[in-house]
Amino acid sequence: MIELGHLAAFLSLALALAQGIYGLMGQRRIAGWAAMAAFGLMLISFLTLVMAFVRSDFSVALVAQHSHTLKPMLYKISGAWGNHEGSMALWCLVTLGFGAAGAVWMKTGREKLEARTLGIQGLLAVGAMSYLLFASSPFLRLDPAPFQGAGLNPLLQDPALSFHPPMLYLGYVGYSFVFALAAAGMMESRIDAVWAREARRWSLAAFVPLTIGIALGSYWAYYELGWGGWWFWDPVENASLMPWLIGAALLHSVIVTEKREGFSAWTALLAVLAFLFSIMGAFLVRSGVLTSVHAFAVDPERGAILLFGLVLYGGFALILFALRAYKLSGGKPWVLLSREGALMANNIVLIVATLTVLLGTLFPLMAEAAGKTISVGEPYFRLTFTPMLAALLVILPVVQAWAWGKADLSNWMKWAAGGIALVLVFMALGVGIWSISLGAAFGLALGVWLVFGALYELSRRAVTVKRVFKMPPRVWGMTLAHVGLGLFVIGAVVETTGRYETTVALAEGGTGTAAGWTLTLDEVRAIEGPNWYADRAVLTAVKGGTKAVLAPMKRYYPAAQMPTTETAIHKTGTGDLYMALGEQRIVDGEPRWVFRVYFNPLIDLVYFGVILMAIGGGFCLWPRKRTKTA
Amino acid sequence: MRFLVILLASVFMMGAACAEDVALDNPNEEARAQALMRELRCVACENEPISQSSAPIAEDMRARVRVMIEGGASDTEVRNWFEDRYGEFVLFRPKSDSLSGWVLWGTPFALLVFGGLIGLAVARSRKASVEPVRPEDI
Repeated sequence: MIELGHLAAFLSLALALAQGIYGLMGQRRIAGWAAMAAFGLMLISFLTLVMAFVRSDFSVALVAQHSHTLKPMLYKISGAWGNHEGSMALWCLVTLGFGAAGAVWMKTGREKLEARTLGIQGLLAVGAMSYLLFASSPFLRLDPAPFQGAGLNPLLQDPALSFHPPMLYLGYVGYSFVFALAAAGMMESRIDAVWAREARRWSLAAFVPLTIGIALGSYWAYYELGWGGWWFWDPVENASLMPWLIGAALLHSVIVTEKREGFSAWTALLAVLAFLFSIMGAFLVRSGVLTSVHAFAVDPERGAILLFGLVLYGGFALILFALRAYKLSGGKPWVLLSREGALMANNIVLIVATLTVLLGTLFPLMAEAAGKTISVGEPYFRLTFTPMLAALLVILPVVQAWAWGKADLSNWMKWAAGGIALVLVFMALGVGIWSISLGAAFGLALGVWLVFGALYELSRRAVTVKRVFKMPPRVWGMTLAHVGLGLFVIGAVVETTGRYETTVALAEGGTGTAAGWTLTLDEVRAIEGPNWYADRAVLTAVKGGTKAVLAPMKRYYPAAQMPTTETAIHKTGTGDLYMALGEQRIVDGEPRWVFRVYFNPLIDLVYFGVILMAIGGGFCLWPRKRTKTA
Repeated sequence: MRFLVILLASVFMMGAACAEDVALDNPNEEARAQALMRELRCVACENEPISQSSAPIAEDMRARVRVMIEGGASDTEVRNWFEDRYGEFVLFRPKSDSLSGWVLWGTPFALLVFGGLIGLAVARSRKASVEPVRPEDI
């Protein structure tokens, strides 16, 4: 079976090469067919791999190393990409998938541009496929086959994490297609409105799954790692945040290219950078140059190959850019205070924010090379990254109404008065009633400002209520994304500044208090699951009239010889009461269980906001009704 | 003398190790202690602050933070105490008083200013007759 997959992968590599050559020769049709066939073969290949995991075929080395007969079916399947080789196979599949999708759905009317895009995408696939087949093959047999597999890392045995890598890869690899489009556009020195319309769709097709992937990863870290937080500024998280930020900058810059044929060189550069940052993220995570709690498949040698790929693609694209950038047109004229100017500010801040994340992530490495060991963590990003983005978000509601070319500034007093009033209200509420810090009050005002700003803009454009529902999907997309951003800000501010955490040690039958809740430990019992056993505590939490039962667990996976925490979360509507079970300890002569207890106010808003951003992106992908504009 | 130091140190460590990993009575002090715990790095873990780590040493470090806060130490004194023992590595808030600290903390803002200047230059070079156009969808 697996040999069939191996063979299919080789054939797919050959077809990807054909896609590359014919594409670069300008043969749109042949390259398109090759792209679809290469994808079909790789799909077969990938399915044989998944089948080997489903059937627990331990004669396949990868299955023996990463699977186990007792694992639930979902994790047998997701185990196929929960390891280095399998995830590379997924990477190849998605690369070819975007090539095939491009062959079907690209509609620019420019044969050469499309052919070259497919060609470059084919060559990118050849690179990934060669890496897969010659440096990290998942198709190797093991002889003799063991009776039992070694099991998947227990931390990865989680529903959210089953879909986290595919989503993330759809995003990362989606940018490979945007990269290919940019390179093809630069080859013919035409980054114009037609190009931008196409590039915008594909950037969205990458941005939406990347957003969902990051949200899933963050949610997983929240409830599985048992730390009570949702973002840790961990190097691996940063590695996914950087392409996202570049992608967000690209989504805004490409609008200027589409509508005004402006920013064309800059948009092309961002299109290239989004993919380069994606590969760099993979490199940082896989090579083990950074220490992280998220990194799972670390190997310095593979890191070196990824670095080589990064330098190769990056070098190619940037040289091409240097040769062609001056030929790209400048678009229609505009002044600083205009829609173009506002989108330029968006881009400057997002790029500087990306570079800040990059600096903070790599600085410990550079310091180590200079003989100093230092750490860069949350306080650094809170004091650099956060204020920068906050400044950008402050202007968003105002500038999204601005016209192209030159903004009408006659009503600026109204905006300023509204903004200042909002801040003052929250300052008064924050200091007087909620007793929160001034920074938190400002953050809340900012979130509300964004939500109202987005809704106001929708109503301003629609004029009447009836027309709100007839607005183009893109306007809805923008509104939803910006409302999501506002809700995210509110959730993030409230959660980070209002989180309560403590530790309580309870004897069985004992009672304690935390975060205003009275906690009674009813029992702690040893239980058994399909491939783990656990200590499971049952607690009754009472606050006022509400009562909740929480059952946090400490699991032990014998196959991997590894413990995990299974947190218990009670949603109150305004936040999460969150408990993780710790060690048993002797306190005052009697055994007690230690619990970490958190109350995370409004944390759901963080995830809801991010998902709303993804949905907004999805709306923007919706094809428009053709109007008279050609 | 040396014996005395070791004796004192061990008594002191025992005190720290035995201190329960539970909240201080004064909520303001506890909030300060927790804020500090979030920015001190556990020395035994991959990349976690002591507030999150379940390692025994992190527990001791948490207890130490609480003992010091309760004893009236300022945030800076707590940070310095840990830095003296474990090196700058232990601080998730890197220091800004050396050249590298300046580079680390200054670069983002320098880049922002630089980017802003470029933006202004780009916008200035484009003053021609401008026709405002209302955005029809985005």
